[in-house]
Amino acid sequence: MLFSLRELVQWLGFATFELFLHLLALLVFSMLVALQADLPSPKLSWWLVFVPLFAADGLSTYFTTIVSIRLYEKEKRLAVLRLLWVLTVLCLKLVCEVLLCQKLAEQDQARDLWFGLIVSPLFILLQLLMIRACRVN
Amino acid sequence: MKMSLAQRVLLSWIFTLIFLIMLVLKLDSKIHWNWFLIFLPVWTFDAILILMLIVKMAGRCKPDFDPRDGDESVKRRLWYLAALLLKLAFCLTLCSRLEKHTDVLVSVVCVPLWLMLGGALLELGHSVFCYRRD
Repeated sequence: MLFSLRELVQWLGFATFELFLHLLALLVFSMLVALQADLPSPKLSWWLVFVPLFAADGLSTYFTTIVSIRLYEKEKRLAVLRLLWVLTVLCLKLVCEVLLCQKLAEQDQARDLWFGLIVSPLFILLQLLMIRACRVN
Repeated sequence: MKMSLAQRVLLSWIFTLIFLIMLVLKLDSKIHWNWFLIFLPVWTFDAILILMLIVKMAGRCKPDFDPRDGDESVKRRLWYLAALLLKLAFCLTLCSRLEKHTDVLVSVVCVPLWLMLGGALLELGHSVFCYRRD
């Protein structure tokens, strides 16, 4: 729409298959959220609802590691840079997901966990994406 | 006139940042605005995208337009327009639900989102498997 697939792959640093994986995880996650909200009782655990997102992060890390190991034989610098970038993005995403899940699962105990803190990894990610966009451009 | 990648990134970046800030302030109860107002950056961004799409599609009506290079892109642009409208429908029903204007199930609210994600998955899956076949 606004970006072509090629531009997205260049900008985000993820392969097309990884984007597909994350999108699929988002679809399953949204279905589980709807199920969690609509089921009267017994409610699904929030940790269970977040499983697709955690699984997508894990699989994406696995694929990136494999790709980087293969790439390391030909282009060492590119392989290390790619691995570092994808791991940084996935770590920030994972931190945000875990904090959000904890806030939703333990609402009484996690009162000090305010949403500004939960979303802060996303703010860092936005800055990093902006810097990367300038480099790609 | 085609926008450069940096300009397009900046456009989406600004709207995402403003939306995230407003969302956090609302969720932390620092502001007590209407949910429709919180989603204002989303409405604005979608309106800009729809306007850009309509302008591009209207370009077909020019007298010097070559129909040979337009068939594929028209289908694609119609799908983009449908996806944008589905996203808009999802955001509207979500806001109505959050404002308690309606009492529909969350599953019903999510139907446009699922349709949009399903379509995007099909398109992405098609490009993944086409690339592999090549």
